[in-house]
Amino acid sequence: MKERLVTTVNGRRIERYVDPSMRLVDFLRDELLLTGTKIGCKQGECGACTIIMNGTAVLSCIMPVMKAMDAEILTIEGLEKDGTLHPIQDEFIKGGAIQCGFCTPGFIMGTKALLDENPSPTSEEVREELSGHICRCTGYKKIEEAVLKAAERLREEKDD
Amino acid sequence: MNCVIRRQVLYWVRYIHVKEALRMKYLIANSTAEVLEFLKEAGGTASILAGGTDLILDIESGKKKADTLVDVTRIPELKKIEEVDGFLEIGAAATLTEIQKNPLVRKYFPSLAKGCKTVGSSLIQNVATLAGNVITAQPAADAGMALSVLDPRFVLVDEEGTRECGVDEMYAGFGVSTLDSGRTLMTKIKIPLPNKNEAASFQRLELRKSLSLPMLNVAAMASIKDGKFEWVRLRMAPVGKGPVRAAEAEEWLVGKEVSAETFKKAGELALENANPRSNPLRGSKEYRESTLPVMVRRALLEIATQLNVMEG
Repeated sequence: MKERLVTTVNGRRIERYVDPSMRLVDFLRDELLLTGTKIGCKQGECGACTIIMNGTAVLSCIMPVMKAMDAEILTIEGLEKDGTLHPIQDEFIKGGAIQCGFCTPGFIMGTKALLDENPSPTSEEVREELSGHICRCTGYKKIEEAVLKAAERLREEKDD
Repeated sequence: MNCVIRRQVLYWVRYIHVKEALRMKYLIANSTAEVLEFLKEAGGTASILAGGTDLILDIESGKKKADTLVDVTRIPELKKIEEVDGFLEIGAAATLTEIQKNPLVRKYFPSLAKGCKTVGSSLIQNVATLAGNVITAQPAADAGMALSVLDPRFVLVDEEGTRECGVDEMYAGFGVSTLDSGRTLMTKIKIPLPNKNEAASFQRLELRKSLSLPMLNVAAMASIKDGKFEWVRLRMAPVGKGPVRAAEAEEWLVGKEVSAETFKKAGELALENANPRSNPLRGSKEYRESTLPVMVRRALLEIATQLNVMEG
């Protein structure tokens, strides 16, 4: 039995008939072909599948697709504007906060949700808020630095 | 030939599996009445879904069964956190993040905010609920543990009407609730507001600060008058089914002076009601038995500190 799903993904309204036992991450990747969102553990433990739903960072791998009904979803693909990367993406690249890149979309979406709510986080707050994301390459230090740099840049942009 | 039969069998197994998945229904309820209507229609084969952070995995692994999911997270009444007639009422669909950030929760029950903040990671807390933490009945559930000593009343609604339940009536076994999610809806959790001479604490022993289950957790609430314990509620986990009462320690503590000596004795007495097992994730029985009294001491000390009876 398929259910009707109406949702907004990266500003685009989407209407589909979906199998309700599907997870949101599979819908994004397999149906909408938005493969920027990664599947790591598929158990809610690694953070690779993090997306933003109605302003909150959530794990799309343990979320039934129907939770997206009437929701505003933002994935990593929705961050760049007219070919220009979002300051968070840019700072991750500049600061070497990326190695293999698999955890990066999750980290960046987690960072976006954090900075939207708290534009001036302390190092401690960054560590705490992003503690649900696992990275096996960078050792986290560079990620933390990139987040703080991005926060600074976003604050400056806002003041301009 | 064997190979052909095997392939045929595999095909059918897969076919049945896919068929089964496609049979699942997902209903979004807009009111409590609608939830009951959906549950009745499904005749007990449905399950209420809130955050779903455990349920979705449990259904997939076959641990739990449901052919219809009834999503209750869009019912406005179930999202409320408010003060009503001497109680703090937390709607069953309020997320752990919403609870821990709520000014009323922080003002009256900081230990509950702390418990909510230690479940999984902030990504889990953004969707998981306190009600779900109680109903999944995992003995390690931190939020449910922190809540357990606050004398919570769970408001349950089913076809027969509304009733209230206490902590001990909620847990049937390891990971098993007395509440049948196919028939009964928890609408809210009511916690009596504390008096001036009452405070609570939640302590946790873990390998890491996030994404790690507790090796032990201890929750306590007490009333202190003239430097003595009037009463103490003390619970510990995972040392048995749900939040286990340290009954011996609770009884002994009544009327005892608030002192380091008292905390120590209470910690030792807590072992009388605890049966921690050796577990590769949580540590050995011996280790957990030696650390449990320390956690109890810390919990009581924190209460004494909050009430300015002792210095932390």
